[in-house]
Amino acid sequence: MNTSLLIVTYSLIFLLGFSFLLFFYLIIRRIVVQHQENSFQKKYAEIEKDILDIVTFPDKNLAKKIAKKYRYYPYVLTRVLVNYIEQIEGLAREQLQKIFNIALKKKCLKDIHSKRQIKRLKATHLFVIFSDPSDMKHIVTLLNDKPIVKLVAITALSRIPSSQTLTYIFQSFVRDSIVNARVYINILFGLGSKIELHVRKYLHKSLSWEKLSLLIELVGAIPLRSLYQDILPFAEHPNKEIRIKVARALGHMRIPASLNILTNLSEDEAWEVSAQALKSLGKLGDIASLDVLSEALFSPFWHVRFNAGHGLASLGSTGMKQLKKIKRQKKDRFASDMATMVLDETILVGEA
Amino acid sequence: MDGILGSVYQVVTAIILVYFFLINSLYLLFIFLSILKIFRYRNAMAYVSFKDIFQMPLVKPISIIAPAYNEEMGIIESTQSLLSLEYPLYEVIVVNDGSKDDTLKKLIKTFDLKKSKRVFRKMIETKPIKGIYISPSNPKLVVVDKVNGKKADAMNAGLNVSRYPLFCGIDSDSILEKESLLKMVRPFIEDPEKTVGAGGIVRLSNGCKVKSGQVVKVRLPRSPLARFQILEYLRAFLGGRIGLNLLKSTLIISGAFGVFRKDVALKCGGYRAASIGEDMDLVVRMRKYLHEKKIPFKLEFVPDPICWTEAPETLKSLSNQRNRWHRGLVETLYHSRKMLFNPRYGITGMFAMPFYLIFEMLGPIIEVMGYTIFTVLLIFGQYDQPFALLFFLLAVVFGILLSLLSILLEEYSARRYPRLKDIIIIIAYGLMENILYRQWLALVRARAFIDLALGKEEWGEMEKRGFAFDSQKQ
Repeated sequence: MNTSLLIVTYSLIFLLGFSFLLFFYLIIRRIVVQHQENSFQKKYAEIEKDILDIVTFPDKNLAKKIAKKYRYYPYVLTRVLVNYIEQIEGLAREQLQKIFNIALKKKCLKDIHSKRQIKRLKATHLFVIFSDPSDMKHIVTLLNDKPIVKLVAITALSRIPSSQTLTYIFQSFVRDSIVNARVYINILFGLGSKIELHVRKYLHKSLSWEKLSLLIELVGAIPLRSLYQDILPFAEHPNKEIRIKVARALGHMRIPASLNILTNLSEDEAWEVSAQALKSLGKLGDIASLDVLSEALFSPFWHVRFNAGHGLASLGSTGMKQLKKIKRQKKDRFASDMATMVLDETILVGEA
Repeated sequence: MDGILGSVYQVVTAIILVYFFLINSLYLLFIFLSILKIFRYRNAMAYVSFKDIFQMPLVKPISIIAPAYNEEMGIIESTQSLLSLEYPLYEVIVVNDGSKDDTLKKLIKTFDLKKSKRVFRKMIETKPIKGIYISPSNPKLVVVDKVNGKKADAMNAGLNVSRYPLFCGIDSDSILEKESLLKMVRPFIEDPEKTVGAGGIVRLSNGCKVKSGQVVKVRLPRSPLARFQILEYLRAFLGGRIGLNLLKSTLIISGAFGVFRKDVALKCGGYRAASIGEDMDLVVRMRKYLHEKKIPFKLEFVPDPICWTEAPETLKSLSNQRNRWHRGLVETLYHSRKMLFNPRYGITGMFAMPFYLIFEMLGPIIEVMGYTIFTVLLIFGQYDQPFALLFFLLAVVFGILLSLLSILLEEYSARRYPRLKDIIIIIAYGLMENILYRQWLALVRARAFIDLALGKEEWGEMEKRGFAFDSQKQ
């Protein structure tokens, strides 16, 4: 038998053996998984029944009893609690939190200090759902962890809204990269007006333009109307992106006094700023913006015309009349086409 | 065998052996990388609710573009599926690409469409648009009726009409799972500057029960051809593409389901109307543009958003489809040949494109060459009998091993086939595909070179049965 034949023969034997093992592994694994799933479903139904009892008639002792009864089934118990706690508020939720504290918390606290990132991540995810002010000191230790764990820890902290947790979150926001900073904005958004003081403080700090624009976006998205005066100076910021964010935030805030600022922004040298300001003027719905919006329909930029057209439509009957007038004029076909489209869409959707 | 013929035989045999070793090693590497990624993803997503994305202020709206050509059988179900997706803000643009059947009529009737005077920016040249329809009862739906071009032309028309910063290209004979857009958009939320595209998993809907535009029961198709393809899709999506993605070498984000940043796609001129494999072509040109401008970028492959699509069930349709895919691959690589082995294009030029050239494009030629040499030698009784036989068996067993590993990936990830019986059937088809099916496919793909040289451009018709057909049979 020559060498090449030997190599091929041994390779074949090895691959055949490996394939057979894999085949049996697949089959056995499937049988085991199916069996596990059946047991899971059975236990799930059992726990669910008890959970439904406690949710219907909250009882301090029953929570303790359930926690002790199922503490040796942490996986199933976690699943049931996670599925129920998101749909429940008030006293019943407190009972579920109590079950978590008695049966699972100890393990979670151990896991957030685990060497394995996945364990830390999973445990931190659970603290997002079952957050408790007393856990803050443990979660804060994860702020120096890897980004994926740190961001989940920030989410968990955001569920414990206190001045101290907000300070931790904002300090971390300043330190973190711009990529992660976007995740902070999504998290902070859920906190609503609670973050007002912190946002005001950080708007006046020297941050990178990206982070600044994210904070301004946040002010508009929530919206934090009391920070109106704080974002106005940024309407003259040299960076175009920041001016766009200011225009957008003002549109969300719908403060009548912002009409003049938005009118100025609608004449900005950058068409992107102008388009956003026109959209916000439309949201403001002030009839005083009729002329600005009508004029903008003759802009050479498509987005500017588009937002101006929709802005006019949102002014009600006066705006619609103006659109019809622009539709009839022959001087600028692009303005006429845009007016026609906006009228058409408004009427068609209005019919539904 | 002596002399020149003998030397040629030895060289060719050596090339085939080295090729065999390299291709299988690479596929094994991809599968192991995929297992790694799937485990990591599965653990990272534990206890994560995708519904949270609804409340995030920085989620970008998406325009879904679905080109349709003679899709009357499935267009209503797939449009309904698209309209029932869970996503904060999106529009569905169905582009009727000059269908000869009742695709447009059915859409107009079902969704009560009205002709609109919508204006749009013509950012890319396309065949003329005959009309734009909107639905007063479904404001998310826009139907564009245009003169027939190719799929790329229809996608460009959709891009022109679209209004949102991200777009999702989808085949109009496909069905998306409800949460799939929420899952696909995660990379764009996490890193909106760098992420320029994301792809998901495509699976076959043949045999599945579809209700209200959603796959409600997953079953294996009855057609053996469709069953062979299930395994191929598992290998391609779970094995190959996830593995290649970890090596930052994604060149294909399936046209059946991919999300892209519109600004980047437009800077590259949108889809190339003349391209045959428009999905790969777009990704390659996006990579080219981003490398040339030295813009850091990411193309992500997300392992669990699933798109269900109908696979051909006749030899003719399958042959047309694979022939077109291979012509698309060859044509795209030829069109972007400047990038090949060019360090200026980083990993794209030095690994991804050479991989596709050597192993995907030339693969069928080498395979057919191997079979031909084997047959010729067999006829003339000139082959080293035990070696050739063992080598053939080795190739078959390696193929089976890769299939088993792909099934393992399926078990670790979505596990969409609920019955053990289904898994055993798929494994059995993994064994059977080595007899005739693989050889036939290699021939079909090799023939693509001849068709391309002859200037064949047609897409080839695919017999559509629609989702209702499979559902009725359950």
